[in-house]
Formats: sequence, structure tokens, C-alpha cells
Amino acid sequence: MNHKDYLWLETRDLQPRMKQPIQGFINFLLVTALFLIVWWICMDPRGILRWYTPQYGYMYIRWILIASIWQAYIFNFWPFSYKFMETRHPLIKGIILITVNLGIVGFMVWIFYYSIIGRLSIPYLSAPVLTELGMSSFFAREYSSLAILMMAAIASWLSPIWPVCFENHPWHGMKQPARGFTVWAWTFLLTTYIFLCLMHPHYHVLFYPWQEFAAAFPWWYKFAHTLSGNFNVGWVMCGTISIWLLELTFERYPFCLIKKQPLRGIAGFFGVLVFALVMFATFNLLQDISWGVAVEGAKRLYAPDWRYLHSGELACMILVPAMVLNFYFDNWPKKYAPSINIAIRCLIILVTTGILHYLYYKFSPPILGTQPGYSHPQQFPMAPVILWINIMLYHNWFMDLYPGKKLASREEYLLNPSIVAEKV
Amino acid sequence: MSDLSRRDFLKGLAVGGTVGYFAMAGVSSTVMKNTFIPPAKVGTEDIGECKSVSVKVISETSWFNNPLLLEDIKKAGGLLVNQYEIPWTNTGVEEGWKGDNAGGYATLIEVEQLDGSKRKFLLDTGWNVDWTDECFKREGLDKMLANGEIEFLIISHEHFDHYWGIESTLKHRPDIPIIVPKGFYPEGFELLKGAEFPKCHLSNKVPHTGPLEVRESGKVHKIMPGVASITFDVPIITRVFGEEVLVFNVKDKGIGIVTGCCHMGIISLMEHVKSTLKGGDKIYAVQGGLHISPFEDWDPQYDDLVLALHHYGIERLGCNHCTGYITAEKMVAANLPVIKGTAQFKSKRDIYLGNGDSMTF
Ligand SMILES: [Fe+2]
Ligand SMILES: [Fe+2]
Repeated sequence: MNHKDYLWLETRDLQPRMKQPIQGFINFLLVTALFLIVWWICMDPRGILRWYTPQYGYMYIRWILIASIWQAYIFNFWPFSYKFMETRHPLIKGIILITVNLGIVGFMVWIFYYSIIGRLSIPYLSAPVLTELGMSSFFAREYSSLAILMMAAIASWLSPIWPVCFENHPWHGMKQPARGFTVWAWTFLLTTYIFLCLMHPHYHVLFYPWQEFAAAFPWWYKFAHTLSGNFNVGWVMCGTISIWLLELTFERYPFCLIKKQPLRGIAGFFGVLVFALVMFATFNLLQDISWGVAVEGAKRLYAPDWRYLHSGELACMILVPAMVLNFYFDNWPKKYAPSINIAIRCLIILVTTGILHYLYYKFSPPILGTQPGYSHPQQFPMAPVILWINIMLYHNWFMDLYPGKKLASREEYLLNPSIVAEKV
Repeated sequence: MSDLSRRDFLKGLAVGGTVGYFAMAGVSSTVMKNTFIPPAKVGTEDIGECKSVSVKVISETSWFNNPLLLEDIKKAGGLLVNQYEIPWTNTGVEEGWKGDNAGGYATLIEVEQLDGSKRKFLLDTGWNVDWTDECFKREGLDKMLANGEIEFLIISHEHFDHYWGIESTLKHRPDIPIIVPKGFYPEGFELLKGAEFPKCHLSNKVPHTGPLEVRESGKVHKIMPGVASITFDVPIITRVFGEEVLVFNVKDKGIGIVTGCCHMGIISLMEHVKSTLKGGDKIYAVQGGLHISPFEDWDPQYDDLVLALHHYGIERLGCNHCTGYITAEKMVAANLPVIKGTAQFKSKRDIYLGNGDSMTF
């Protein structure tokens, strides 16, 4: 028997309320407007809360993303029942699920990192602890935010691998919440280990004097020509984007052709990794071509660490059109052979990423309150881009793409015996 | 879709892995880089020569209490908030100047030409007008400005600590020629005309009446034989854009660089000089703020800088101000030729050039 794990997101049947592409445009514009409003209220340096200091707000944005992935992909919306998911009005459901999402973010940042791990284990994971140790409260918050957001960044690369590539294997047969907790614990354990290898050495050099007894020397220095963990941020972001491209644009093709687990998962994991590293190397080369080779010790456009970071930023921008195409335009086209469909989608995504890149750097200063220029030491285009993505995820995962789409009626739903089996 | 056999799959994996490996190796290979990336240019622009340059630090203490300044920034919403929107603390600061946390940055430059004649100009004009007045008086700048000895004022960038004390210069000579880099915001020009900004406790009571020049980026602006300025398009914290630096070609010594904050990065700057100026491959001296750890903060990128700096063969390094004490300590430890100061007039340490100290190259 094929142990297919029915994710709510895979089984729900969304019906259009209007014709395409009107429906797609209305939904997309709505979600973009919402993103701009949220950015203005919470992040914009001219706005109300001004959390984009920059790391502090960026940390929350990163955690919203991973908490959404946990809710939808790992816990399959547990503890909410399928009945709740099917019958509640999308807006009510959205508000409830977003509240839970923000609760998870608050718990992770304020309780788990600030009050437990930061206090009992690694001080740089807690802003209040760093402040108590004598650091200025501003940089205490910035440093700890960077560390905490990196946990989320690594998790958003690793966590989806289990549901997407491994189909939660070998825990696919377990019921919720046991399966959710198992996959969550496993991916979070991996995240922590990888964080310790990729980011902890960054903190060897961040503090003065160097913390050589507490953290390894940045092992990437020899070949990356920088001590900064941005080297790892760059390729990890390419990894995150690759896994989501596999899910959204490639619809798990070609790995879905492999029927056996864990073979499919392992192939998927390494396939994603290779794809990510090629993407990373390509973006690095493109920057070398546009601006000339990076110079060790330089700042701004020529800083090696910024180049790596920017490769991650470029990767991140790919995800926006990929997501828009999938969420709002039904992943057009679907009528050809999978490989042709994918090739056409990739072409559309590449072209629109280029346009987005141009528009972002041209219009973000007046619209987002950021400063002009590509390389700014305190500016991370991934923050607004991921917030935009977060709002799209909220819209799709938590609100069934309301108002452009609606869930098919419950009766139709019950006709599918596999879902009924899952529900019992 | 058909089922794949294990053999097909392994074959696919092998092909995929090999293609991936070569794709990655290919894009990051030297052959690829050599084909697509143009080689570094050698500088050809001739700015002439001067005999020597003397740089006097009028004030390098931009603010007196660092945690307090950071608290102001944090409360306002972080490092990207517009500097004109931040209510900087200006009362009750024990270490401050008469309770005000604001100090400022200003440097007097004297160039000796090959014929022996000497010419003076001012780089930046501080922040707190009262503090800057005091510093100007201490070094006799009030008289030099009034009698026209100081030819012009060049502003490195629009930052509060370099530009907001403009009244201190204008009160002695309202018609002094002023040079600013491209990137000034409207508020900066308003201030010059005599505007007031109560929110950030800023005003200028003496409108500027002399010539004002905005220097474009992307070219070398010659000032006098052996002296030029270069403007860089750089976005800077607290919503500032653009910075200009001074470059000197000193006979028999090489290039000297004097910066305000050096937000473009000293290595990026030296690379630019190397590829632009004739003789740019020999950088003899650097003086000014290097914007590395201005708030005694850190980033591993700054270690990259300290570790790479010795490749450039700088013989005299007169850093201060936003270079930061941590950076200075690391530079000294790395055997870089950091020139010591005397820790006078509210400069806290003698690890680098402080208020009233000078260096000649
Ligand atoms: Fe400065
Ligand atoms: Fe500055």
C-alpha cells in the first residue's frame, strides 16, 4: 500500500469564484496591498512601530515564515480539526490561525530563546541577557535577533524537506499530533545542529576578544574569503528557495517519479542541495560579472560576504513570482507534459524575477522607506520580500485564497474515501 | 507517469550529480571568470603633486556617551530612521559638553604646494555648535575663517556629526564657498539657508551667502595641484546618501587619503584610488574616520578588513572618530602603523589621533 500522507493543503478543493486571470489579479493585488499596510505599520522606518531596525523586525518576519510551515506542513493544522478547516469562514479561520501563528513566534522568541536557551545556554540568543552582560541594548537586540532569525532561516530550508521530499517517512503512518511532534522534533534537532556548524562560528569573531574556546573558527574563511556567516546565509537561502521551487513550480517533479521511500527523500534532499549550490555559484558569478570580483576586506558592493548574502537575496526574489504563479494563476500552464509545463513556468519566473529585481531597487525607497542602492550595511531586502511571502502564505494556507477562491462543499469532499479514512 | 526502476533511478542520480557538480565547478571556475570579468584597470588620472599635507584634528569626538546615542537610535526605530527625525539627547549628559551628548567632527587641512606656498581648507564642521565653537577657538579657526585664510569648507557627507554644526563656520564667514557631495537631502540644503528642525534640536541662525557646489560621483574633482576629491554613491545609516573623500598626491611619498567617515569602506576606497589615479598603487597615508565600529559594535566583516589591510602597504594610519576603539586595538595588534594621539580635549584614549592632534605627510 502506498502510504500517502494527505496534507489538508493537498486534499482541499479550491474553486474559483471568478474567471482567470481577473481572479488572480484581484487576489494578488489584495495581498500586496495588505503586505504594504503591514510593512508600514510594523516595519517601515517612517511608519508606526519601526521594527525594521533592521534585525529586530527581520527576526519576526523569519519566524512567521517557519511557524506557518510548521502549522501547515508539519502539524497539518493540528489541533484544528478538518471540520473546522472546512466549515469556518476563511476570514474567521484566518484570524484564528494567524493568532496561533503569532503566538508561536512570540513563544519561540520571548520564551524559548530570550528566557530559556539564551539564559541557560548561549547568551547571544537573548537580547535581555546580552544587555545584562553590559552590551548596549540596541546591539544586544540586533545581535540576538540575527542569531534567532538564522535558526528560522535554517529551519525553513530543512523543515519542508520532510513533508515534501520524504512525505514524512518513516513517520508517515503516525496520527497527529504524534507525527507532527516527531517530524518537528527531528527537523528542529537538525536545524540546531546545522546552526551550530554554520552560524555559531560567526559568533566566534563577533565578540571581542574572539571567543575561541566557545566556538569554532569560521571554517569557511579559507575558501569564502570572509569570516562572516553571510557565506552560509547565501547558500542556505538558495536551498530554501530550491525546496519551495520543487514544491510549487516543479510540483515535486522529477522526484515524484521515484515511488520508494526513503530513496525519493534522499534523492530529493541531494537534488535540492545540488540545485541550490549551482544557483548560489551562478548568482555569485553574475555579481562578479556585473561589478567585478569581490575584494577581501572591502565593504558594500565589493564585500565578499555581502556578495554571498546578495545571492541569497536574489534567490529569495525568485520565490515571489513562483508563489504568485502557483497561488494566484493556478500554476499556468498545466496542459502540456510535466517537463514542458515546468520549462514554461521557469521562463515566466525568471523574466518576472528580473522585472521584480529592477522594480524593487527602483521603488523600494519611496514605498518601503528603505534607502537607495544595492548594498547597504543595515538593509536586508529579504525582510520585505519574506514578509510579502508570509502574507501570501497566510492568504493561501490559512484563508483558502479568499475572496478569489472558495472551498468546495463538504459533500463533495466526503466522497473521497481516503480523506474520510484520514479523518476517523 | 511511469514507475522508475531502481537502476534507472541510480543512473539518473549519477547523471544528475555529475551534471550538478560540473555546473557548479563550471560557474565558479577561473576560466569562466577570466572570460567574462574584465581585468582590473590601472589608474591614469593625474591630479598633479603637492609637497606635503598637514591634517589637524579639530574634533573627532562626535558624541560623548555612546550607549546614550544608541538608545536615541533604538527609540527612534533603528539605524534606517531619518536623522532629522531622531530626538537626540541634548541635556543632562554628564560626560557631554555642557550636558549635551553632541560633539562633532571637523578637520583642518593645510597643503604645502611645490612652490612652498600654503593653502588651508576645512573638512566638515561638527555637530554641536557650542562645542564646535569651542574647538574652533582652541585651534584659532575662528580667526582663520574670519580673515579668509581658510579657502573653503568641504562636507564629507550629510551626517549629523559632520554637518549639523554648520553655524560654527558660517558665523565667522557666511560667504565661505561650500562643497557637498551628491546625495544631500532637501533638509540639508534647507539647513544651509537657515532652517530650524526642532525635533532633532537643530538650527542654523546664519544663512549661507557664498557659492555652493554639489559634486557628482563617478569622477575625480581637482581642487589644487596634488589635491582632489572623489564622491561615492553610498547609502548610509540614518538615511544619508553619498560621501566624498579627499585624495592627495605627495611628491616622493605617494597618495594620501583623508576621509570624514569612509562609509564606502577604506579597502573599497583604496581599490578605487588604485584603479583611477595615476600613482594610485602607492598609498602612503590614510587619515580620518574609517567607519568600522563607530558604536563599538562589531561584524565579522570588520575582521576581514583588519586582516586584509596590511596587503595595501599603508605607511601611516591616522585613524580616529568612527574607526572605533575595538578596531584600533585590533589594528595595533595586527601591526598596522596606527598613529597614537594625546587624549586631550575630551578625546578619551590615546590609541589614535584625538582632538588637537595632527599628522603630516
Ligand atoms: Fe562619522
Ligand atoms: Fe558618517
